[in-house]
Amino acid sequence: MGLGAIVVVGAEQEIFSSAAPQSDLKALLTQPLACVEVLGRSVLESMIERFVRADVETITVLVAAEHSCGVEPLRGAYENVSVRTVDDVLSAVSDQLRDYSQRSIEHSFVVSANVYAETDLLDLFYFHREARQVATRGMDRDGTLDLWVVDCAQAHQSELEGLLAQAEKIGATYFIRDYVNRLQHPQDLRRLVSDALSGRCAMRPCGREVRPGIWIDAGAEIDRGARIVAPAYVGRSSKIQEDTLITRFSSIEKDCYVDCGTVVEDSSILANTHVGIWLEVRHAVANGNRFLSLEHEVVLEISDPCVMRSNRPAQQETKNGLSWSRKAREQKVVADPNPKQSPAPEAWQLGADLIQG
Amino acid sequence: MYTRGPVVVMELPEKLNHAEGKAFLVELQPLLEVDRPRIVLDCSQMQNIDSAGIEILLHCMEETMKRDGDLKLAALSPASAAILELMRVDRLFEVFATADEAAKSFQAVASLEEPQTLPWYSVPRGIADLKAAS
Repeated sequence: MGLGAIVVVGAEQEIFSSAAPQSDLKALLTQPLACVEVLGRSVLESMIERFVRADVETITVLVAAEHSCGVEPLRGAYENVSVRTVDDVLSAVSDQLRDYSQRSIEHSFVVSANVYAETDLLDLFYFHREARQVATRGMDRDGTLDLWVVDCAQAHQSELEGLLAQAEKIGATYFIRDYVNRLQHPQDLRRLVSDALSGRCAMRPCGREVRPGIWIDAGAEIDRGARIVAPAYVGRSSKIQEDTLITRFSSIEKDCYVDCGTVVEDSSILANTHVGIWLEVRHAVANGNRFLSLEHEVVLEISDPCVMRSNRPAQQETKNGLSWSRKAREQKVVADPNPKQSPAPEAWQLGADLIQG
Repeated sequence: MYTRGPVVVMELPEKLNHAEGKAFLVELQPLLEVDRPRIVLDCSQMQNIDSAGIEILLHCMEETMKRDGDLKLAALSPASAAILELMRVDRLFEVFATADEAAKSFQAVASLEEPQTLPWYSVPRGIADLKAAS
């Protein structure tokens, strides 16, 4: 049938409005939310898997250049997936559609990686084909989504941004009744984790369900004195020390270390985060030395490495044609806008000085 | 610093780290050594706190408790509230929206401790009284 897919990562154009990062998201993460591992796999990879399962012939991931260092290597191996870093996402999409058209691929999905929608992709495609429109846009009860099916041959001939924006106005919309998460805010990430752990969506954690609701991924080490209360997830190669408590829809992603006596409740500890001893991480998202309290709506920057730090190795990795380094990541953190200029939340310092006895 | 009856309200510095905290503690120490110290720490100006700052708060709390007094926090910003929660010390302090509210809470306790002039309860009538009444 000739079906392709273009997944856009980190585009900040108005048309991909859901991909535009929020201020507190920028303070917490240097990478797009879609590239952050959630229960062992990024939303981007989940989306690629869905396209593969729907027998999409070729999948192109277009990463905005400013976010290229944030794209982690994919966990699975996919033959028909190519990843490209581009400066101008819209023109790259247009070029890709032209390329698809030349390769006799008649239709293509165009989707922002931030949109997690569990819709039947083939049903969406058939709807589009029967509607005989140039583009069909997906929408749910909260409005339009950055998910389209386009006719490759016609789409690359017209002005793409106008075509995508106008799709719902000419009546070509496909209503999605299934689970949708727009992943615009870390709160959405927490919602996705709790929905997945409680079975409200089709996403399932990676690894093995060792007890009902407790998922442990490969290589995770959990001390006998630690307590994990379902539902919860511990990612691959993570270490949970004694007297810790992981409870209430919490997820500890890969290569994390949770030290003795710490409580993690209704929180996500993102990959490569070291959490110190005797802390209480509640209703929060922790990423390296950045800590977002969802209850207080504030991002803390913790400079005491004993309390919280990143344990990401400072080595260069290359995969899928993308290369990134720790140095580049640090430069991006330094380049973050002054928190006082953005309305909320403010960045805070928790220093390393200890009081003398 | 100002007083409101027996309550002393002190404003915490913008940075509560080891150096600033030490200076703050020098100022606060005489107030901690009185009998039943009642102290409110106004956190409205506090922008930065570290582990040393948290230890200073705990030290002040300990000193007041030793002398049968109390220490309360007021006007905590969301960031400082999040830090206290992360370090597990939030539940040790009573926290109020404003310093005035915190000071008033001490006065409410003080008035309860004073002897009552009128009994706040009524004595149920005995069976004999009930019989006499009938």
